[in-house]
Amino acid sequence: MTIERLKEIVHKVLPDVDVVIGYRQGFDALHATPFFITKPEEVDELIWGPLCVHNLAAYLPSLTKNKKIAVIVKGCDSRTVNQYLQENLINRENTVIIGIPCSGVISVKKVLKGLGDQPIEAVSGDGDKITVTTSQGDKALSLSEVSPDKCRTCQYPTPLIYDHLAGDPISPDKPAESVYDDVREFEKLSLGERWHYWETELSRCIRCYACRNACPMCICQDKCIAESRDPHWMTQRLNGTEKLMYHMIHALHLAGRCVECEECTRVCPVEIPVAKIKKKINMEMAELFGYKAGVGVEDTPPMFTFKVDEEKIEEHEL
Amino acid sequence: MTTVNNPYLPELATITKIIEETPNIKSYQVVFDDQEKMGRFSFEPGQVGQLSVFGTGESTFVINSPPTRMEYLQFSVMKAGEVTGVLHDLAEGDQVGVRAPLGNWFPYEEMKGKKILFIGGGIGLAPLRTLILFMLDNRDDYDDITIIYGARTPPDLCYKDDLKDWEARADVNLILTVDAEYPEWDKRIGFVPTVLSEVAPSSENTVAITCGPPIMIKFVLQGLAQLKFKDEQIITTLEKRMKCGIGICGRCNIGSMYVCKDGPVFSLAQLKQIPPEL
Amino acid sequence: MAKLGYLPKEKLTALLEALSKEQRLFVPCQAGDAVLFQQYDATKTPCLDRPATTPPKGIIFPQDDTLFTFTYHKDAEDLKKVSVELKENLDVAPTIIFGARPCDAKGFLIYDRPYTETDTPDPYYKKRRDMTAIMTLACPAPSPGCFCTSVGGDPADKDGSDVLITQLESGYLFESITEKGETILQNSLFEEGSSYQEQAQRTHEAVAELVRKPFQVTEELTQKVLSLFENDSFWEEEANKCISCGACTYLCPTCYCFNITDEQAGSSGERIRTWDACMFYHFTLEASGHNPRALKHQRLKNRVGHKFSYYPQKYDGAIACCGCGRCVRYCPVSVDISEIVAHAQEYTNDHGE
Repeated sequence: MTIERLKEIVHKVLPDVDVVIGYRQGFDALHATPFFITKPEEVDELIWGPLCVHNLAAYLPSLTKNKKIAVIVKGCDSRTVNQYLQENLINRENTVIIGIPCSGVISVKKVLKGLGDQPIEAVSGDGDKITVTTSQGDKALSLSEVSPDKCRTCQYPTPLIYDHLAGDPISPDKPAESVYDDVREFEKLSLGERWHYWETELSRCIRCYACRNACPMCICQDKCIAESRDPHWMTQRLNGTEKLMYHMIHALHLAGRCVECEECTRVCPVEIPVAKIKKKINMEMAELFGYKAGVGVEDTPPMFTFKVDEEKIEEHEL
Repeated sequence: MTTVNNPYLPELATITKIIEETPNIKSYQVVFDDQEKMGRFSFEPGQVGQLSVFGTGESTFVINSPPTRMEYLQFSVMKAGEVTGVLHDLAEGDQVGVRAPLGNWFPYEEMKGKKILFIGGGIGLAPLRTLILFMLDNRDDYDDITIIYGARTPPDLCYKDDLKDWEARADVNLILTVDAEYPEWDKRIGFVPTVLSEVAPSSENTVAITCGPPIMIKFVLQGLAQLKFKDEQIITTLEKRMKCGIGICGRCNIGSMYVCKDGPVFSLAQLKQIPPEL
Repeated sequence: MAKLGYLPKEKLTALLEALSKEQRLFVPCQAGDAVLFQQYDATKTPCLDRPATTPPKGIIFPQDDTLFTFTYHKDAEDLKKVSVELKENLDVAPTIIFGARPCDAKGFLIYDRPYTETDTPDPYYKKRRDMTAIMTLACPAPSPGCFCTSVGGDPADKDGSDVLITQLESGYLFESITEKGETILQNSLFEEGSSYQEQAQRTHEAVAELVRKPFQVTEELTQKVLSLFENDSFWEEEANKCISCGACTYLCPTCYCFNITDEQAGSSGERIRTWDACMFYHFTLEASGHNPRALKHQRLKNRVGHKFSYYPQKYDGAIACCGCGRCVRYCPVSVDISEIVAHAQEYTNDHGE
């Protein structure tokens, strides 16, 4: 049992760290919540399963400066750790990585949508199905039906970096060439259709910055251009121009850095598929520089280097 | 059509005079463009106003001229952020907006018949100035007036004309100090709290009013306690980032207290009731 | 005497059509996968079966609002001389909010105290508030995270509404609460509704039973939360997972903090008011660089403290939380304000504070 193995590891590392970050049950049966464990008696509350959706690695940069932190990471989350190491944003000495092989999580939003947003009394998992209980009775949902987009093309079910692994490695079973199929599909639309799509989607943005603050790679949060008066590039207006500007800056700052955890889409309260913008840029980065963020710990992000002659960029003749 | 009593709508005013107080502090004397409104305007010593530069924004300053001299309203601005930066670029004749008066004021009625001890540092003399001038204009209402004022260097002292005037008066005891020796400075040298201990004014029938940088306030409060001042005898003013100025927007609150509306003037006894979030 | 009107389900669209002709009508509508209050027209798809993702507060207190415009004029005689002209912006049209939930309506009551019941009432809020009628739908079911009954509310609470609507099997019962509501119920589409009252009552009671009750408001709660003010470790523990975004505040029907900024282009511009959030680092950041609430636990403490301690201290014990559960439901990391309040109660009970 992975959970038993996980608890064993946490018990083992806890005496040597200030905190272990894992998951526990949240306010209802459907929601897990990040769990900061400091005492051995808390370890029993630890949970693991398809409800454990958050990318806990995102807490590392602010904490590993002066504390020793152990963090539970899924395969997808481990790319965040690698990227932090590439960009020198965390102190590896102060970080203990507890990897956990993952066969996929759920999208809470998709589950709730299938149930008309009712309080969830119980959730039980069984292989590739989950059964959700509300006051109206039980409903069985297949995991593939309620999985987030990132799980559908998952290439890294087993963490790429870890100090401890809680479970047997899982091999990827999704075709690597299909990762960006959704982007290619979207690009078949005309420019007008794509513009209309984003205009409609972004019109719902309330500028709450959940996407920015949940993003593990958005590291200048307290100094964000979206709220700055100096430089004063954006107003506090809620119109389309400002929303588009904010989301484009967010996406461009992540070029060659986005680790595809899709936290931005997961946390958006008004259900804007923000990760789609980043995925498009990721595809370009992969094609242009052969680079995928957070895959190798020794890689260098393409925007961190300069080559006089880029293989795939055609220079203007002078 | 303008709504009567729209608390967000500034009164247009023109800068009639700019005084360079120190290398980074300027005082602005402003007069409402609507003469009738200027005539009707009233405020109490210690109340603040929001100065607007349209296109940049607003910032809060105490009205440091006294209500006994209503030819203009004076605000002193230290260059620090966006609005204060732009204010420093303005010239006499330029227009600004004024939302005033806001907040509470010094309890000058309760101070009648008492000895008054002012302790100020740097631009912290601004809120004291309005009360000092008000008291000098009602001199008979108050007993001895002592002013201990200091700045880093002599050029950093504000209101130099006032200082000259107070120094010359027999009914004011002005004690000036700067942090370190300076060419041609023949007055005291030392930090304000140190000077306070040296002067050692009696706490008997006295009210102490202090304003200055947080570190000065901290040691002044300790000094006053040593001189046996009770918390009720000590008054200070707080400064917080403000936007609305009418106790709604949520920036300047300390617990349930809104500095813009319930302050900026507090006795130390009141401050000790407020959660410590300064 | 309250007026009761019954409307068969199939006449709902006709009613919305009729109401939208007289004034601006806002209805929760499907917008992507979210539900947002939108101005009704025939192209919109009303969605009444779950509470809107965002509360209707923006209809009375817009997320961005122009307080006034300013224009700089150059003097034709003396080009160096520039004068400013200000123009107040207070255009408001009569409005109906249809399909708010009782917690949403209660949010405006919490706004009213600081915004209208003071010596400096906010004219922008007040004018819109006065010109808006609120038609509230009693909750047909609780939503994930909601807890209205813990803060003195009820899924069929009438407080703050002009009309209370109850969804029945084949139609809706409309009950007027105020004069504004009575006027609305004069519409000829309504049938006599008194015979449905009992059925509505039964629905209300059944739903109230299903609402979770994580804590109980007691008289001491305000003091208990305040007594923890200097207990950094308590707040650090509650805030450790918080990511300091503004989702909780922007989705909250009672959060009323704002920012004021000037925006200028060329010789004219606007002073605008926009929602702001005490959870943001920059909210209290001062020009000097000093920040009285620089750490996220200080900010979370302010948010919880404001709702459960500071506001009630100012306003006769009224709690500034309506229990809608949006902050819980939509929090990226499931910070649960009701759990924090329960923890504060437990902690002070255990430690005798």
